[in-house]
Amino acid sequence: MNHAANFLRGNTMRDKTEDRKEVKVLTKEKLDLEQLLAAPKEALSVAGHSVTRTDDLQKVTGKLMYGADYPQGGFLHGKILRSPFPHALIKAIHVEKARKLPGVVGVLTAKDVPGRNGFGAIWPDQPVICGEKVRFVGDGVALVAAETEKIAHEALSLIEVDYEPLPPVFDPRDALKPDAPQIHEKGNLLSSNKLRKGDVERGFAEADVIIERTYQVPFLEHAYLEPDISFAIPQPDGTMLVEGPMQAPFTVRRNLAAVLGLSVNQVRVRQIHMGGGFGGKEDSPIDVGCRAAVLAYHTGRPVRLSLEREEVTLQTSKRHPMIMEIKVGAKKDGHLVAFEGVIYDEQGAYAGLGPVIPPAGGSHIHSMVMMPGPYEIPHVKVDAHLCYTNHPYGGAMRGFGAPQVHIAHEQLMDELAQELGMDPAELRRKNAFRLGSVTATGQVLDQSVGLIETLDACANAFDWENRCGKSQYIDNKGSRRRGVGIGMGWYRTSIGTSSDGCGANVYVHEDGSVLLYTGITEMGQGAFTVLPQICAEELGVRMEDVRLVKPDTDMVPESGPTVGSRSTTLMGNAIIMAARQIKESILEMASEMLLVPIDRLEAKDRQIYDRKSPGNSLAFKEVAAKCMAMGKRLIGQGWWAPPPASLDPETGQGNPYFVYTYSTHMAEVVVDVETGEVEVTDYVAAFDVGKAINPKAVEGQIEGGVAMGLGYALMEKLVLEEGYPQNLNLQDYLIPTTLDVPDIKPIILEVKNRLGPYGAKGIGEMPNIPATPAILNAIANACGGRVRSLPADPESVFQAIREAGGPPEK
Amino acid sequence: MNKVALSFKLNGRNVSVEVSPNTLLVDLLRENLGLTGTKVGCREGECGSCTVLLDGIPINSCLLPALKVADRSVTTIEGLVGEDGQLHPLQQAFMIEGAAQCGFCTPGMIMNAKALLDENAEPDDAEIRHALSGTLCRCTGYRKIVQAVVTASQMKKS
Repeated sequence: MNHAANFLRGNTMRDKTEDRKEVKVLTKEKLDLEQLLAAPKEALSVAGHSVTRTDDLQKVTGKLMYGADYPQGGFLHGKILRSPFPHALIKAIHVEKARKLPGVVGVLTAKDVPGRNGFGAIWPDQPVICGEKVRFVGDGVALVAAETEKIAHEALSLIEVDYEPLPPVFDPRDALKPDAPQIHEKGNLLSSNKLRKGDVERGFAEADVIIERTYQVPFLEHAYLEPDISFAIPQPDGTMLVEGPMQAPFTVRRNLAAVLGLSVNQVRVRQIHMGGGFGGKEDSPIDVGCRAAVLAYHTGRPVRLSLEREEVTLQTSKRHPMIMEIKVGAKKDGHLVAFEGVIYDEQGAYAGLGPVIPPAGGSHIHSMVMMPGPYEIPHVKVDAHLCYTNHPYGGAMRGFGAPQVHIAHEQLMDELAQELGMDPAELRRKNAFRLGSVTATGQVLDQSVGLIETLDACANAFDWENRCGKSQYIDNKGSRRRGVGIGMGWYRTSIGTSSDGCGANVYVHEDGSVLLYTGITEMGQGAFTVLPQICAEELGVRMEDVRLVKPDTDMVPESGPTVGSRSTTLMGNAIIMAARQIKESILEMASEMLLVPIDRLEAKDRQIYDRKSPGNSLAFKEVAAKCMAMGKRLIGQGWWAPPPASLDPETGQGNPYFVYTYSTHMAEVVVDVETGEVEVTDYVAAFDVGKAINPKAVEGQIEGGVAMGLGYALMEKLVLEEGYPQNLNLQDYLIPTTLDVPDIKPIILEVKNRLGPYGAKGIGEMPNIPATPAILNAIANACGGRVRSLPADPESVFQAIREAGGPPEK
Repeated sequence: MNKVALSFKLNGRNVSVEVSPNTLLVDLLRENLGLTGTKVGCREGECGSCTVLLDGIPINSCLLPALKVADRSVTTIEGLVGEDGQLHPLQQAFMIEGAAQCGFCTPGMIMNAKALLDENAEPDDAEIRHALSGTLCRCTGYRKIVQAVVTASQMKKS
């Protein structure tokens, strides 16, 4: 306590009743988030700063425990017997020999699943153990638990299954034919969706130029470095504990309860730190978690189910492949007048994260909404079909349906620019979303639209004006040719369903230390740093005063999945609301202690002080102790959900997502026209993120996302032959190395989101989206050949150059 | 399979254990000796998460039979922190530059970078990228990792 405060207290002692009255009058406003967020924050002291990650020390010393690092003692080892056929009936399974093998504790088939024999992030159409039929080569037909992993392996080889192979279907267009083999009872079509704005026929009639193209993208593997693992531990009270790396503990819990035949409150799910997720660990932990839990249920013992790298590739979800047919019409001056698109979206064997959760949830509907790109077009028509095939199943992978359609519209924009003889950046500038633009779904973008700003900043940093239109050979013999490319993009924050709420609990203790409870998971994106930053900022304490409690469904409030670039924004808002409830107590108490009206008090850096006389202050912990002693509330509970999403199922019109992140990328490549090899030599990526809560973490998201987009452009593809994945390990499935990725220059712009914490929007998924087409456009610019079916590996680039009539003249 | 006696130096200390001849170094480290800082991502020498130093040379410990390290010196991520608890400059630099995201590749990446800096105190960007090309990272895009190695090299110099 300083002298000024003592003086003030002493002096006003006589008039305490009067002062109290004054304080009451000036007491806080009602909790209204928009008002809270709009309240001026003079200068942020924790949020907005690149504080070191809370888990960095453990990571650099090797002390951070991932699933596989936990001691294995006391656990049985689980293994899955998989189908050798992409499509077959199961006639009989003989497990007796496997059961007799010493060390085998359980061999389970379909009839042993205690509850619902089906799981899935959206629809439970994937059997925990297949009973009658298999639909892809990763399908599980029997589960084994044994004393060692080796015995479990051996037991698998002793199980005999009689199959009757069925004709498979591998192309989504074939799957829709009337005589196609039916993969599920309800048919091969999961969903057909429509987007209609204006009148495309009229639009095309008004167009001076019309071009039509088809683009195709393959299945992609997430290739997170940590293979999946799950621990199921039956508890003495009959409940089941499941632990593992996962992005969506509440989705895992919901599935476990149904599969085990328990109520939701009898299942406890804890997240173990993830070695990467990228969307893949939204649904794979349901798969391994349910299977481990069924084994634990039957054996009554803890079960560890760990996948080898090859099993991860074989069994878990992939990025959806798509065939995209697009037609665009424009005026001579470049203004877009009409857009028509058809998407054949391949779901694979199971529904995964593809189907529509009304109004606008699921990857398929997201692809449809995003397909026309971040451009204002008066007449739009999109038809999107989601089909089952006998391939691995499609799930979430960084961008959730958006990367595919960006590859189509961003290449189409460049092909149109070429047709019009325009600078592709200028063509985009003419059509790009601005404040007040109306999207293809009829949504008016009424706030936080920084797309043009990203174009300006990117072009400026890249020096686009002087580099565009100057592709040339850079060696004497005329084999290496340089070119540049642009990619633009947008991505939602939130998931477009009615169940998009986030809960946070904040507890302040008598010594001023804080516990923060959220169900948002950490996969490397930095949530365990950014969320405490927001909490510390709002309470006015330091980063190190806040300890985040790791997601445990018995402890943390429902928060939904850690997906959709929603965590910082949605959970950030919930945390602010929770922290504000406590701050009310703290400021009321401080107001009484300092005899300063509440609206003059500021909480910052562990101090509560009078703005008019900053020396008049109290320590946060002193006030917290007083609150505790006086029975005042030091517990806050926040809940925030975005404004309701809407999308008409017939017309695709509505407001599917409440705010978007925008981006422009520019790339330089050098193409060897003799071999088709591509080197990315320069890269600038600019983003409007609303507000960067941790700028270094945002940069990290940008740089990593661009690298992932580069892999999609140049080398990544799950090769499937008759339904069998050919490149199961990282020796054959290539991802970018230090030698493939250039020194990416990230640019962060902040066009404030009035519904985000300190203005923030999502960033996690956005960065890889425009990267792939930017690189593909640069390749076409450099060598004249355009690769419309990915990846642009040397063979495809070489072929594209030939199709374009050979390399440009020297 | 009969176990065989094995003695080697691990993080500066002499270690004697008994292992089956088919035990791989990574399993000896992680399962028998409890050093789980060394990670396993692929078990075929592609991802580099299991990188440790053998007599100062970075190797994939998922490919090396444990008996091959007899009478030699192995350094893992756990051996980088000094006796006084001081972090190695690379560990500090990885934190300063934000070079770890999910962190799964970090120990392998740091071990590879240590071998480089021990050999070449002031590597340029190309040398760093070349030296680290055997360790995959799916999160960072490598820029901050390369920067961290530069920063560590400057820290060691001063």
